[in-house]
Amino acid sequence: MSASTTAETRTVPTRPGPAAPVSRPNRVGENTVRADGVPKVRGEFEYSSDMGADGMLWGATLRSPHPHATIWSIDITQALAMPGVHAVLTHEDVPGRKVYGMEIPDQPVLAWEHVRYQGEAIALVAADHPETARRALDRIDVTYEVLEPLADAERAMADDAQRLHLSGNVLRHITIRHGEQAPVADVVVTGEYEVGMQDQAFLGPESGLAVPDGEGGVDLYIATQWLHVDRDQLAESLDLPPEKVRLTMSGVGGAFGGREDLSMQIHACMLALHTDRPVKIVYDREESFFGHVHRHPCRMRYEHGATRDGGLVYVKARIVLDGGAYASSSTAVCSNAACFACGPYDVPSATIDSYVVYTNNPPCGAMRGFGAVQTAFAYESQMDKLAAALGVDPVELRIRNAMAPGHRMPTGQVVPEPAPVAELLERLRAMPLPAEAPSEGRDLRDLPGGVSNTTHGEGVRRGVGYGIGFKNVGFSEGFDDYATARVILRVADGEPLVEVHTAAAEVGQGLVTVQAQIARTELGVERVSVLQADTAVGSAGSSSASRQTYMTGGAVKLACEAVRERMLERAGLQAGEDPGDLSLEDGAVVSAGGGRIAALTDVLADEPIEETVEFHHHETYPLDENGQGDAHLQFAFSAHRAVVDVDTRLGLVRVVELATTQEVGKAMNPQALEGQIDGGTAQGLGLALLEEIQVRDGRILNASFTDYLLPTILDMPPVSKVVLEHADPEAPYGLKGVGEPPNISTPPALAAALRDATGRELPRIPVRPEHIVGIDEHPPARPPLPGSRGPTATPHIRP
Amino acid sequence: MPGYNRAEVSAELTVVPSWEGKQSPRAQAEAARRAASESGLAHESGPGRTVLSGGRTEVLEALRKVIEASLDAGAHIVQVKVEAEGDAQRFQKS
Repeated sequence: MSASTTAETRTVPTRPGPAAPVSRPNRVGENTVRADGVPKVRGEFEYSSDMGADGMLWGATLRSPHPHATIWSIDITQALAMPGVHAVLTHEDVPGRKVYGMEIPDQPVLAWEHVRYQGEAIALVAADHPETARRALDRIDVTYEVLEPLADAERAMADDAQRLHLSGNVLRHITIRHGEQAPVADVVVTGEYEVGMQDQAFLGPESGLAVPDGEGGVDLYIATQWLHVDRDQLAESLDLPPEKVRLTMSGVGGAFGGREDLSMQIHACMLALHTDRPVKIVYDREESFFGHVHRHPCRMRYEHGATRDGGLVYVKARIVLDGGAYASSSTAVCSNAACFACGPYDVPSATIDSYVVYTNNPPCGAMRGFGAVQTAFAYESQMDKLAAALGVDPVELRIRNAMAPGHRMPTGQVVPEPAPVAELLERLRAMPLPAEAPSEGRDLRDLPGGVSNTTHGEGVRRGVGYGIGFKNVGFSEGFDDYATARVILRVADGEPLVEVHTAAAEVGQGLVTVQAQIARTELGVERVSVLQADTAVGSAGSSSASRQTYMTGGAVKLACEAVRERMLERAGLQAGEDPGDLSLEDGAVVSAGGGRIAALTDVLADEPIEETVEFHHHETYPLDENGQGDAHLQFAFSAHRAVVDVDTRLGLVRVVELATTQEVGKAMNPQALEGQIDGGTAQGLGLALLEEIQVRDGRILNASFTDYLLPTILDMPPVSKVVLEHADPEAPYGLKGVGEPPNISTPPALAAALRDATGRELPRIPVRPEHIVGIDEHPPARPPLPGSRGPTATPHIRP
Repeated sequence: MPGYNRAEVSAELTVVPSWEGKQSPRAQAEAARRAASESGLAHESGPGRTVLSGGRTEVLEALRKVIEASLDAGAHIVQVKVEAEGDAQRFQKS
């Protein structure tokens, strides 16, 4: 961690944003109501799609209907001639770099020759009305030569497969070789697993407003996850210096990784600079499905070997992630899948191969728990299968092999404190199970299908399953991860006020509130104002990888400490006291004995104190050719237990209860933490039971919330929670990132519960009704054992 | 997640085909693409443009091969822009 003064100059904004509200937060560790909560519920919050400007034009995007094609010509003549149309742009109009990408700039801003996925952007229109813009898109004549899509990741890896990119179709391959590479085990179980393509399904489809500044530059008001990485990509493609491209965060409905890549940012700015008018682009929900990346579909083949008494001997895994047409953050997803492939267990020998592959499917990238979600489903399914083969309790088997501080992960990294894997499982197991009333005679609302009158209790079976997962917090593999914060302590309206300025994206996780809590705690000042995030201050990194409370929270804490030091120096000088004996409390400078020295308002007078700092986490390192290296900063763990009732005749499921234990280091705002756990659990339930983008031959079949099924409040059961607060000695306040873990451990727990109820293998999520229907007509090879909570298994047991 | 951890060096090549070359203009461009593709470092970056990105040594070695393939096919002009892209420079203060 380091401190420096790195303030950026701010120009006059082209659009005044909403005033930053002044709040009176509680301290760190206390419940604090989020400032944006009430306006959002009342419909008063300004989301990015709500913005407007005088003289504004509407932008629209022409997209390819084909997943794979060659473009022979693009004729914009008719569109350009339409009344009300102000611009029609193609790749020829991209002023700078014609490709973009967070890691690998491989995605065309506008396609020029090749179309690699359905929905790829080809041309842009700016018009005085959104309907005019839409009709103009219909007048753009594109001549395609339609090609056979390469839509299967395994096929794309074949030597004779057509290359979709010059670099080949395998975007990244990570090998991990850990321990003995010819291990022998008493009991061996194998399995093949698959995870479907999940959508982030955030509220508020992609939208933003670009405003030219009249001097060749542009302001972009945008809902995004990382302002500075957007800005730098924009500057490259617009061929402008970064200071000519200013970004301001606007209202975000949610993100979950889906706003980490660019969508309409370059397009809106191109149109605005071309027309010299403000341009707004708002996707509808259908376009949103084509406008952002999704969770990687994944196929995994696993082999677990163990001793007769249940000690893990080895794990072998082959993981194939379908990256779709462009790189996005696939390289990091591939790495995470490999690093966390064995789960939070002590595994003496690991042989892991993780691949991510280009195809003509929709591009995939970051989504909550990236990489770790997919493998957790597989390794936890394997642990259940192993428990069944050994005839032991599946939770006991997990505890027997639980990772602990000091163990070496398959990457060679030593597991740091705290890693209470066994404790999480023990505490989860000890939580009371919901009472099981007879199925018959129950209130219909408590049965699968609810009031649809599908069952009155007949054919209903209960199942219980467990799952545990973990992943990294923060950026990894040698990336210099940092966040910047600017803190100003001043007098306003006769009272001290702390202003906090960062570029960190509030995406619904409660970051604005926690920044205010930190300022309140560190400076002892009740009134805090968190200013609008923008690129006038240094980068905060992305609101992803569960990192912002650690990183931007850490930066705010560090900046407050710098402000406090200067404040105490000033107070000490004025009062003739040693600054080392002073502290700040309740708006005053107090002595070591607790005596009030001076009011902050008097010490500050009309001379505010301002500090800007960068907070860096400790260095991480790339993985070597054997997948060895201290690649990660921190690990976060959670466990879930699922209780389900299954109507085995219709395949309908009612989730009765989800119980969870999570290691959080420090509950910064317990109320917000609960929201993160509920939200992550709901998203995990969606992946396990409902949510999948159906893709056939590269085409999305269900690009709407009518056909893409999301869990509703009626699908969500009560979530019982136990939170462990074992402080990370290195992290600010001892905290851990909390956003992703619940999303990782929920799906395997639900799948295990369904297996317990049905006896089916269920090697794929989401589990669909047809996978569990008809137990009576087609019983599984072996009925579930009472309390087995695992699938049927055909283990290989050495004689 | 991702980071924003660009390759150490990126080199963008634009082959300007010659009508007087040994091979057709299309073949000249294709020769460059093929050589770039063999490097495993290449992506298209625009019509007739290719980016090689990776470590400094491997990019510069690949660059030479692509240029030679282009010239052998008859191209008279190959424009090259080489950028060193350390992560630290990505977030310059403005």
